[in-house]
Amino acid sequence: MTVLLALENIEVAYDRVFQAIKGVSLTVPEGGAVALLGANGAGKSTTLKTVSGLLKPERGEVTRGNILFQGQDIAALSAPQRVRLGIVQVLEGRRVFGHLTPAENLIAAASMHRSRQKVAELMEMVFAFFPRLGQRANAKAGYLSGGEQQMLAIGRALMTEPKLLMLDEPSLGLAPYLVDEIFGTISRINRERGMGVLLVEQNATAALEIVDHAYLIENGRVVMSGSAETLKANPDVQEFYLGGAGRVDYHAVKHYRRRKRWLA
Amino acid sequence: MDIYFLLELAVNGVLIGLMYTLVALGIVLIFKSSGIANLAQGALAMAGAYIAWALLTLAGVPLWIAVPLSLIAMFFIGAGIERVALRPMIGQPVIMVIMLTLGLEILLRGLVPAIFGSVVKRLDLGIPQAPVIIGPMLINTAYLVSGGVALGLVLLSMLFFGTRIGTVLRAVSDDQTASWSVGISVERAIGLSWGMAGVAAASGGILWGSVQGVDWTLSLLLLKALAVAILGGLDSIFGVLIAGMILGVLESVIPAYLDPYVGGGSRDVVASMVILLTVIFRPHGLFGREDIERV
Repeated sequence: MTVLLALENIEVAYDRVFQAIKGVSLTVPEGGAVALLGANGAGKSTTLKTVSGLLKPERGEVTRGNILFQGQDIAALSAPQRVRLGIVQVLEGRRVFGHLTPAENLIAAASMHRSRQKVAELMEMVFAFFPRLGQRANAKAGYLSGGEQQMLAIGRALMTEPKLLMLDEPSLGLAPYLVDEIFGTISRINRERGMGVLLVEQNATAALEIVDHAYLIENGRVVMSGSAETLKANPDVQEFYLGGAGRVDYHAVKHYRRRKRWLA
Repeated sequence: MDIYFLLELAVNGVLIGLMYTLVALGIVLIFKSSGIANLAQGALAMAGAYIAWALLTLAGVPLWIAVPLSLIAMFFIGAGIERVALRPMIGQPVIMVIMLTLGLEILLRGLVPAIFGSVVKRLDLGIPQAPVIIGPMLINTAYLVSGGVALGLVLLSMLFFGTRIGTVLRAVSDDQTASWSVGISVERAIGLSWGMAGVAAASGGILWGSVQGVDWTLSLLLLKALAVAILGGLDSIFGVLIAGMILGVLESVIPAYLDPYVGGGSRDVVASMVILLTVIFRPHGLFGREDIERV
């Protein structure tokens, strides 16, 4: 199993003061699907931006560690250069180009491809994964529904022909049936196109269904990692991230909060 | 005052307004891509006219080469200003960047006439002096040609935004971070818009310079262009097209009625009144982009 992406002991500080992640190491294998789980402010998004190179506009800086993509250190590359290597991030909150049509959104994201033929093929591929976008190809993207915008954001990322697709909270603000649909498509993209996927999610239940491996981040540190099955079976993860399955009898609830064992 | 006189004023006004639109186009292009109001646009127009004059008169280059050559030169000057002066300012507050463009305007106003001499220069584009007569109206031939050229260039730039590169520029104007995330080189897109602004300013400056002569006062086109851009909505090309014609008509009709009572000079007040009234009553201009809000 070759390694696609490796983070080695990364530390990131914003404004040179606030340390958002404090020594994160993780790997994504070629064609693998990996999830980063954790609560708000744990450092999940910062980790993704470290990889995609989008820390700079937010005055973030990698102060320590190595980022290796296919064995190459990419720390010095700008965000557009990393996209050309095959790293793309779907931003949190979708961020589609609202005044452009979905078709134009896709074309704008294909600025690195010279050939029109190629752009047309890629668009066809995106519309095959998300048939709904094809139907609404001529409406302004700003007026699409939340689910359609999320599909467009993912489709836009696919236009860059990534080797590693990173998604930041794709389930945010979506109805459960849409979450299922979108996660199903992410899984299909992962399997059918052999594309590496790094998924950041608060919805751990949905995420653990489609990944092979997951990391749990708290306060800027990886506190647990393992296969999706291992994490699903872990009582702490069940309690704090999967909604404490099995605890339905509220009369039996004990009056202490369960301590996270990894903090002891 | 008879209707034909009014009509004649209006037609000439529309044609002048189209030239204003051309200069304002540059302000809109830069505002769309980077959210900065470029206050150096007037000086760019003046510089373009000076370069065309220098090529024609000093270097003796034939007209059909001199004009395209000065437009190309202004493309690189515009893009160069972005590269040298504005790119290091990324991350600074917007007001600092706008002040920087104002500083450039003042610098160029002094520097360019200092290099080429401040006496009014004649820029002859070979347009005949005799007016075109349509029925009872006299239309200034220079205005007619310039207006036509300006209209053509504005329509061309509207078509440009439908192309692939144009789509990328519109994406940048929508969301810079998202553009970055899908591999668009935002800096290069902004540089391109500055280059195109330089071309738009220069073509406006050359046309206007052929009418009134080339000297530093060409940079006063900044005020007209700002009025047009604000009235049109700062980020709408169609908006500046309409607003340019509106300002042109107002500027030729209002003085014709008002000047006899106030002793002349009301023409120069019109543009500033347009800016004031637009900002007070319709801050987004006539065709400014609405923010999309889904309910």
